[in-house]
Amino acid sequence: MIEIRFHGRGGQGAVVASELLAQAAFLDGREPQCFPFFGVERRGAPVTAYARIDDRPVGVRTSIVNPDVVVVLDPGLLATTPVCDGLKDGGLLLVNSPRPVERLAAPDSVRRAAVDATAIAVAHGLGSRTMPIVNTTVLGALARASGAVSLEALGRAIDRFVPSHPEANRAAASDGFASVRCVDAGVPSSAPPTAWAPTAPLVLPDGPIATVPSRSIRTAAWRTLTPSIDLARCTRCNFCWKYCPDDAVELDARGYPVIALDSCKGCGICAQVCPPKTIAMVATEETAP
Amino acid sequence: MAKLTIPAEEWMYRGHAACPGCGPALAMRLLLKGLGPRTVMSIPACCWTVIGTPYPTTALGIALLDNPIESTGASIAGLRAALDALRIEDVRVVGFAGDGGTADIGLQALSGMLERRTDAIFVMYDNEGYMNTGVQRSSATPQGAWTTTTPVEGPRRGKREAKKEIMSIVLAHHPAYAATVNPAFPEDFVRKAEKARDARGPRFLHALTPCPPGWKFSSEETIELGRLATETGLFPLYEVEDGVYRITRRLGTLKPVDEYVRLQGRFRHWEPEDVRELSEEVRRGWERLLRLERETAPAVFPKPPVAIAAA
Amino acid sequence: MTREVLSGNYAQAYAVRLARARVISAYPITPQTTIVEKLSEFVASGELDARFVEVESEHSALQVVVSAAGLGARTYTATSSQGLLLMHELLHWASGMRAPIVMGVVNRAVAPPWNIGADHTDTIAQRDTGWLQFYPESNQEVLDTVLEAYRLAESPEVRLPAMVNEDAFYLSHTYEPVDVPTPEIVDRFLPPRESHAVLRPGVAARLGSFTGPDHYVEFRHELARATEAVGKRLPEVEEEYRRFTGRSHGGAFPTYRAEGADAVLVTMGTTSTTARTVVDEMRAEGLKVGLAKLRMFRPFPDDAVRELAGSVDRLGVVDRSYTFGPAGAAATEVRAAIYPTPHHPLVAGFLAGVGGRDVTPAHVRRMFEELLGNPGEATRWEDLLPAEVGAHG
Repeated sequence: MIEIRFHGRGGQGAVVASELLAQAAFLDGREPQCFPFFGVERRGAPVTAYARIDDRPVGVRTSIVNPDVVVVLDPGLLATTPVCDGLKDGGLLLVNSPRPVERLAAPDSVRRAAVDATAIAVAHGLGSRTMPIVNTTVLGALARASGAVSLEALGRAIDRFVPSHPEANRAAASDGFASVRCVDAGVPSSAPPTAWAPTAPLVLPDGPIATVPSRSIRTAAWRTLTPSIDLARCTRCNFCWKYCPDDAVELDARGYPVIALDSCKGCGICAQVCPPKTIAMVATEETAP
Repeated sequence: MAKLTIPAEEWMYRGHAACPGCGPALAMRLLLKGLGPRTVMSIPACCWTVIGTPYPTTALGIALLDNPIESTGASIAGLRAALDALRIEDVRVVGFAGDGGTADIGLQALSGMLERRTDAIFVMYDNEGYMNTGVQRSSATPQGAWTTTTPVEGPRRGKREAKKEIMSIVLAHHPAYAATVNPAFPEDFVRKAEKARDARGPRFLHALTPCPPGWKFSSEETIELGRLATETGLFPLYEVEDGVYRITRRLGTLKPVDEYVRLQGRFRHWEPEDVRELSEEVRRGWERLLRLERETAPAVFPKPPVAIAAA
Repeated sequence: MTREVLSGNYAQAYAVRLARARVISAYPITPQTTIVEKLSEFVASGELDARFVEVESEHSALQVVVSAAGLGARTYTATSSQGLLLMHELLHWASGMRAPIVMGVVNRAVAPPWNIGADHTDTIAQRDTGWLQFYPESNQEVLDTVLEAYRLAESPEVRLPAMVNEDAFYLSHTYEPVDVPTPEIVDRFLPPRESHAVLRPGVAARLGSFTGPDHYVEFRHELARATEAVGKRLPEVEEEYRRFTGRSHGGAFPTYRAEGADAVLVTMGTTSTTARTVVDEMRAEGLKVGLAKLRMFRPFPDDAVRELAGSVDRLGVVDRSYTFGPAGAAATEVRAAIYPTPHHPLVAGFLAGVGGRDVTPAHVRRMFEELLGNPGEATRWEDLLPAEVGAHG
């Protein structure tokens, strides 16, 4: 049995990816099982989905703690979410990333694979730049890198179960299959070690009343684009502060805005409402090539 | 530096779990700026149940109580009764419910609270559907809008029926204060929240809160959509005090509703005819509001004596 | 102390006045109405310093007191039958929020067909909602139990809501003499509610919350611990009450002439009084019969039931409700309680008094006689009409 864990963001298609994988494995004549982790299903929030593929009916119904394969649909998650937790030594980590596979911020005890699924998906007109639909491209790459499913079965599953643009999705899967690059376990990673700071463990209050301010929760992981302010042109009108739904803009003593980067979800409202248009939404470091 | 036009204090904490660009999150932030920390709030099952972050955390700097989806009106009645009975003074009681928890399953308890003249504020944040459960139709979903339960498929072209007029229902109860608010107009929103804070008896705020995933638009357009909703006349800003209507944002010519419709994927299937029908409906609604404002306006001059008028 | 002739419903209302409940909310339903009418009078006249919220449904009534309890107020509501069923969702909220509400329930049959007679189906159907359940048999016991219920429910180790149930008409509308303690005595027994884990205006906190599998289990476990604490706390509360009033009602499972009995009948509510009289009569005839009363159904007094079962060979359990299970609810619980013990008496189930049908001394005597004969363990419907007149076509 092969156990696969998907990490993505709400709205990105991680859950659909696990379903398509299961359908494709079934078309390959195998016994699949897939299910989402139902948590805070918010657009942009990290989400998890699971798939198991075996030659006989799958006999466990639990979340996957020690996967053989981890699939990361959004490279930004590498810096904010412990995606490799429990990944078996010698297992496979597949990341949607434009970076050379050697430069993935990942442990070198596992096989690593990278595919620039965002570029492929955008090239095939799937989703938008801020929210590309990368799941079919990533599945193509997964078929090649893991052998869990055949590209042919994946194509048939896309035809049957993807309602819009099946041709584009099938082509994207083929491109993902063709362009995925792998390195073996043991090959050292040249990326600087990621210093991702987990949310501090919470001290439970005495009793059923919740009293810990949510400020301790970092929502930076939800962000794909980050506001960048050209302060030289800022008129200090404070619109960015006034309209922020996340309370993620502060004003300094002189009235200039400061983005609270731990909390900003990158919605882009501040850039949109800024009268002199001094705020640009820029790709985060992990998404940048 | 421009001076702040709304209070600087924040009573909604960052770290909350709203989607990027969430209208209801901004509505909560503005509401609490107007109400301040001496506020006790009750929220039913709705997006804010989750936005408010899981135990042991909380995203609000006030006392907050959860209640099931249909009983917000009763919950705030209980909070008010306890404060009065325990002689705890200078506290605002607020219910903050979605459109389902207000106009559908919550309507009975809302009506009960209004009829009993409960000294509390009921806020309906209207994202025009059951968004927390994944975009299903509510009675507040506009006519012709796509939702997962009003598909655009075959002969079905979204929701068949018109949006329920919650303000008319509320106003039939003669509340002490009722107003429409829109987070795209923060100063108007906060001023009305302050007015509601200082009034006594039942008060009601209807907030239109755009929902990027539910209405299918890009998260940076939340404010633009909100502005268009009001400037097209679709969601006019007004308040009603003791039966007197007052429009708080005057509109010259109404902006074409086309702009509002085009930004949202839930109306993607619309034909020009649908837009024309909506324009017509919006115009009639706006004219009705203008008439209500005229008719309910307090007389500026005393009425002339009958004899003179007759002459 | 004064002695007054009161109905069960008035005994309930008098107790609530003595308990100085601060927030009351209710919706009228027969035969609960006289409780809330009397309380409305007390509030209107100023005899009771409370807010009475006249809501538009039972669902809202319970929500009002759940929310009021969340701010630390002592609260009360009352209902019956359909009203209790409508409250079902909120019953879980009350226990889950650890709200020590006391609720009077007049046990009435569930429709259809409409019937306002005594029947325990309404409260038995709520046995899994985390509420303590008392089934008193007299108006005196109603009054005393309401006061004890507040003390018990508000104990820091408990903090659970409690129902004090009355058989419709047999208690609710039956007048009999009741000793009413003075306010001074009750104030000493039941001081104002100490507020543990409640919301305070101006303090950021959330009561209710939401949580994933990571904390939910612990919330439920805390409820289990609180329920277990009742077994230890109830005797303490009863002892305190006895010291102030001289009265005690024998804990959760009082027995009567059960020592050395060949057969013991287990009853709930008003059937207990009639059965006690029959026990005396049959004992006088030399028949060794006894009685045990399920004064509390939740938490179920497992230990006391086991103790009794250890010394008796035949138990008959009388349920005043039909439940869609293997046997009556009380019979099932009794059997479950004694399962781990080495001595298993025969447990016969009787359904009696369903839907307000009288349970007469003759019925009780017949149950004892069956029990002393060769009863078997199948559930018996007492007093069914003969098939030719009673059965539907």
